Amino acid sequence: MVSVNLLIMIPFLAAALIPFLHKRISRLHIGWYVLLIPIILFIFLALYIPSIASGATYLFMVNWLPTYGINFSTYLDGLSLIFGLIITGVGALVILYSIYYLNENESLEHFYAYLMLFMGAMLGVIFSDNIMVLYVFWELTSISSFLLIAFWFQRKRSREGAQKALLITVSGGFSMLAGFIMIGSITGSFSFREIIEIIPDFYDHHLFIPAMLLVLLGAFTKSAQFPFHIWLPSAMEAPTPVSAYLHSATMVNAGLYLVARFTPIFGGEVAWFWLVTGIGLVTMFWGSFTAVRQTDLKALLAYSTISQLGMIMSMFGMSSAALNNGYSTDSVVYTQAAFAGLFHLINHATFKSALFMVVGIIDHGVGTRDIRRLGGLATYMPITFTIAMIGSFSMAGLPPFNGFLSKEMFFTSVLNIRELNIYSLETWGTMLPVIAWVASVFTFIYCMIIVFKTFLGKYQEERLERPAHEAPVGMLIAPIILGILVIVIFFFPNVLGNYLIVPAMASIFPTFAAETDLGVTISAWHGFQPELWMTIGVVVFGVLLFISLKYWKGIYALLPESWSFDSLYNAILEKTEINSNKITNYYMTGYLRDYLVYIYIFFIILAGGTLIYTGALDFNIVDDAPIDPIDWVIAITMSVGAIAVIFAKSRLTAILLNGVIGYGVALFFVLLRAPDLALTQSVVETVTTVLFLVAYKFLPEWKKEDSPRRTKSVNLLISILVGTIFVTVALAVQNGKLFESISSYFENSYELAGAKNIVNAILSDFRGFDTMLEVIVLLIAGIGIFTLIKLKARKGEEELENK
Amino acid sequence: MNNLLVLPMALPVLAGIILIFFRNQIKLQRGISLGVSFANIGIAIYLLNRIQEEGILRLDFGGWEPPFGILFVADSFSVILVLITSIVAAICLLYAFSSIGKSHEKMLFYSFVNFLIAGVNGSFLTGDLFNLYVNFEVMLLASYVLIALGGKKIQLRESIKYVVINVLSSWFFLIAIAYLYGSVGTLNMAHISERIAESGQTPLLTGISMVFLTVFALKSGLLLYFWLPGSYSVPPTAVAALFGALLTKVGIYAIIRVFTLFFYHDPDFTHTIIGILAGVSLIGGSIGAVAYKDIRQIVSYNVVIGVGFILIGLSVGTQAALEGSIYYLMHDMIVKALLFLLAGTMIKVAGSASMDEMSGLIRNYPLFGWLFFIVMISLAGMPPLSGFIGKVLIGQGTVETGSYVLLALAFLSSIVVLYSLLRIFLNCFWGETMISFEDEVPMKMGWLIPCVLLSAATIGLGLGTEVFAPYVSDAANTLLNPQIYIDAILYDK
Repeated sequence: MVSVNLLIMIPFLAAALIPFLHKRISRLHIGWYVLLIPIILFIFLALYIPSIASGATYLFMVNWLPTYGINFSTYLDGLSLIFGLIITGVGALVILYSIYYLNENESLEHFYAYLMLFMGAMLGVIFSDNIMVLYVFWELTSISSFLLIAFWFQRKRSREGAQKALLITVSGGFSMLAGFIMIGSITGSFSFREIIEIIPDFYDHHLFIPAMLLVLLGAFTKSAQFPFHIWLPSAMEAPTPVSAYLHSATMVNAGLYLVARFTPIFGGEVAWFWLVTGIGLVTMFWGSFTAVRQTDLKALLAYSTISQLGMIMSMFGMSSAALNNGYSTDSVVYTQAAFAGLFHLINHATFKSALFMVVGIIDHGVGTRDIRRLGGLATYMPITFTIAMIGSFSMAGLPPFNGFLSKEMFFTSVLNIRELNIYSLETWGTMLPVIAWVASVFTFIYCMIIVFKTFLGKYQEERLERPAHEAPVGMLIAPIILGILVIVIFFFPNVLGNYLIVPAMASIFPTFAAETDLGVTISAWHGFQPELWMTIGVVVFGVLLFISLKYWKGIYALLPESWSFDSLYNAILEKTEINSNKITNYYMTGYLRDYLVYIYIFFIILAGGTLIYTGALDFNIVDDAPIDPIDWVIAITMSVGAIAVIFAKSRLTAILLNGVIGYGVALFFVLLRAPDLALTQSVVETVTTVLFLVAYKFLPEWKKEDSPRRTKSVNLLISILVGTIFVTVALAVQNGKLFESISSYFENSYELAGAKNIVNAILSDFRGFDTMLEVIVLLIAGIGIFTLIKLKARKGEEELENK
Repeated sequence: MNNLLVLPMALPVLAGIILIFFRNQIKLQRGISLGVSFANIGIAIYLLNRIQEEGILRLDFGGWEPPFGILFVADSFSVILVLITSIVAAICLLYAFSSIGKSHEKMLFYSFVNFLIAGVNGSFLTGDLFNLYVNFEVMLLASYVLIALGGKKIQLRESIKYVVINVLSSWFFLIAIAYLYGSVGTLNMAHISERIAESGQTPLLTGISMVFLTVFALKSGLLLYFWLPGSYSVPPTAVAALFGALLTKVGIYAIIRVFTLFFYHDPDFTHTIIGILAGVSLIGGSIGAVAYKDIRQIVSYNVVIGVGFILIGLSVGTQAALEGSIYYLMHDMIVKALLFLLAGTMIKVAGSASMDEMSGLIRNYPLFGWLFFIVMISLAGMPPLSGFIGKVLIGQGTVETGSYVLLALAFLSSIVVLYSLLRIFLNCFWGETMISFEDEVPMKMGWLIPCVLLSAATIGLGLGTEVFAPYVSDAANTLLNPQIYIDAILYDK
């Protein structure tokens, strides 16, 4: 048996090969070859329908990172099968369509490589059982979407759209990853199946809610839910086949998939119910409301997609209410919302892809998608018009199209949910049907706009780039198939319900599926129920508002442009750059002086603070050796020398004063009976002073530092503090010796190393390695200076001279 | 065969010295340098596998047994870093062959690179605190020369800052060692660890640990990173790549070593401070990464973000988090080298470092453009590239210990990293083509191949994480259980 893992890999393989094969096979449009892949995958998945419908599920395992519990395990069940069929099915149709949409001059190898990358990633998302692997594919969908949106990357708007989409979806992805990590930490597993089994023990875990919120953030950004929806309209800069595929039928469904998949894990939670339902409904309303004002057909469809996604989201949210008290005969009714959601998901994929293709045909044919320039196309493009009508009316919820059925079921769900007495629904429950209904009215209006403003009305050829004509047959095949599906599903909805949706319901409500049949018989006519009255109301009000559109359109102007989330996004990016530049320039002055101050302040706070905080300064110096008068004399001389350096008027004085300090140290070595060190110190001191004096005449004028008084006092304070800390720690160390030094071992140097001089033995034997390396340090310094003198930049030399 | 332990340092040192005598034989210079790096790769792999079988290896110089002599210690953590260092060094050398120019090559460039590598490897391998200082000096001296080599005015200006700051930090280091030696009376790292464990980490020792932290914070660019953007922007690309990949990592290594082997008794205090510093570095680095249009600046601030990210793992300190830090260290060394090479090459072909003056490069150099794309998503920690597992594990560590602020900062910084590089990609690689095909600077294979190799490494490390898992897990385990280290050094005769 071919495993699902292989199935996911096929598109990736294709993506890798396309750029190489493209040059070999230039006779035929490369799309024809690519088309085979989704078709094969679709057939392969379709063959699973009977066994999945009978309740089977399939698990495949391939080890990837077993050490960390991250394995490429895939799970084929009802839920993933629906998505898989949509991805491959719509994928095949879109590729067919694209063959006619994109001509040979475009860089087709990139296009199809990205598309295959996306298809593989998307299949990976829905089939992964391991949430970490799901995340891997999730980000890959964002990346491929980014590449596809910016397919025409020389256009500024394409790039901006791609950037917006990537930033928003990837940020959501990161948050989702954090959520997944938390889930892994709660349950100790990354496998969906295992988590679903274990999670009931952890409902009270303190990370449960945070994990849920983070995962939802990922789902909402991906599915363009309010207020993250702003990336979707900008993503319309992509070629239309991409919009039809990624941004209406598949990628944006990933968030819905995630919500459905996580319903058995988080579903019983009140926050889940309200967030998913609430955000879903708000998105539905906002999307449909905003769609009406759009003048670009594609933007209109984008907002309509946002709205429809919100609607499906809310249905999944409402269905989670069923899980609140576990299985009971009363709670089963709420699962129907999920059934309706899945049904609408399929329907939406059919009619929305068709509509996008229609818009693509119009754009391709007449060179514009601006509603104000279009009109009267029906006579020139009768087939396109028919498909547009089928798609729009289905979306508006009219019979005899599949959208009618799922819309009715949606109304049933929002009406049912009022009956529920949990989650304070008794107070807020009535709001849900109201929002749903109002949003549906707007949905109806924009559907009418698509049909009437584009295809009917006055034909204005002078405002078009090219005269209108029917599209080539090839371009029409895909939308026609989708259009037919829209109608067929209306007449035979229960085939879909029984074979695809019921098994998927078992994935979302595993505990329920064991107890009862979660199927719903879909019927077009079920008497004059409230939901039918709602539909009739939508139509009546929709028509009235559509006719009077120009009288109330003014309300859109009430909200200024600058108040939109889009301008917020832009403002954030713009402000970020300006402010971060200001902030960084503020402290990155480029002056060594400032940097040294930072280091010392850091040190004072860190070391000094720690000493005070931990009480390390609690020591006694009474037992220290007494200080002889001669020590005082040397110490005071050195101090005076050090202080005087600061006030030195000439460089010569400073160098000499510096020498005083060095020789003072040498004297101390003498007093402390370390003749070797005293000798070394005086040699070093002599040599450096001499070198200074030699170089002295090449140095520039000694300029008096002219820093403000405040800087000077700050510097003084810093110097005193740093000095104090160093001295105190030294004294504390002296008094707080914890162990005897290992140095007594070396006193035996004659026996150990045959050396009478212990210092020499240490330097050349015990720690000879250090000495060797120090020699190398000297060597590097030596040859370094040699090369610096020899290799001068020619241009730099001039610059230096000019200075 | 423990003598092998010294080779990752001794080979480059010897090579560096020998090459001084063959200043004009460029082929020989290149061959020997590259050969040394390859040899080191082989040695590191061999050592790594031996450590898994025999435990920590050590080499006592001059036969003086610990704690009295100096020794090299090879545990998984050190050798993993030596391995990646050698790989990165080999690839950067490869890049240098076709970019650094004859005048540099004849001016002992390869000697200095070898010394630099010797210092880096020595720092990773040494088991003696003072010897660590000496190795730092070897590395720093070589880096001083490499920054200034070429003698451009801007190089000299930045190198002065770099030298002064590092001399200052070396001085801090020396004093810190003196304090610690004064307290515990030994320099052998295992012995220090044992003695501190015996006496307990007194408040004074905690205070001394902060002096060490100051030193290593300067070296690694942990909060004290202000010297970094300037000095990493001026040297030639191959050198900048070596710096970006290796130098800060030595500081990070030292922080991790010191705070897991010596000062691990009061993590509520010390590791919290490291966490705060890491968090602030993430913020500062993130702000800096989006503040400029100069590619070199953007790239440099990305180094800072990486430092913060890795040290979050130490601050959290669980097994998962430390493994994450180690993975991320490996990842960061490879990817930062790649990033610096790509940025340098961009500047070469576009003739400018400003984002505004480049556009549409991907049309001229498609493969090059995609390499940048890979580095972008890899640095953002996106799967399935090498940053992913480190990010996940560090994330796990923060969740396990409840350090949600660090978790948030770490993940937010990934978004900033992505955004900062995305800007470059969108502006410079996409957009209208500016360079006509006739005028374009030809892309040398010698520039592309090293970048391809590093990209392959980031993909390989991402997909093949499992190969490294046993080594990394052993490394983290040793860090978390200092007794393993102590036993191997002091009680394994």
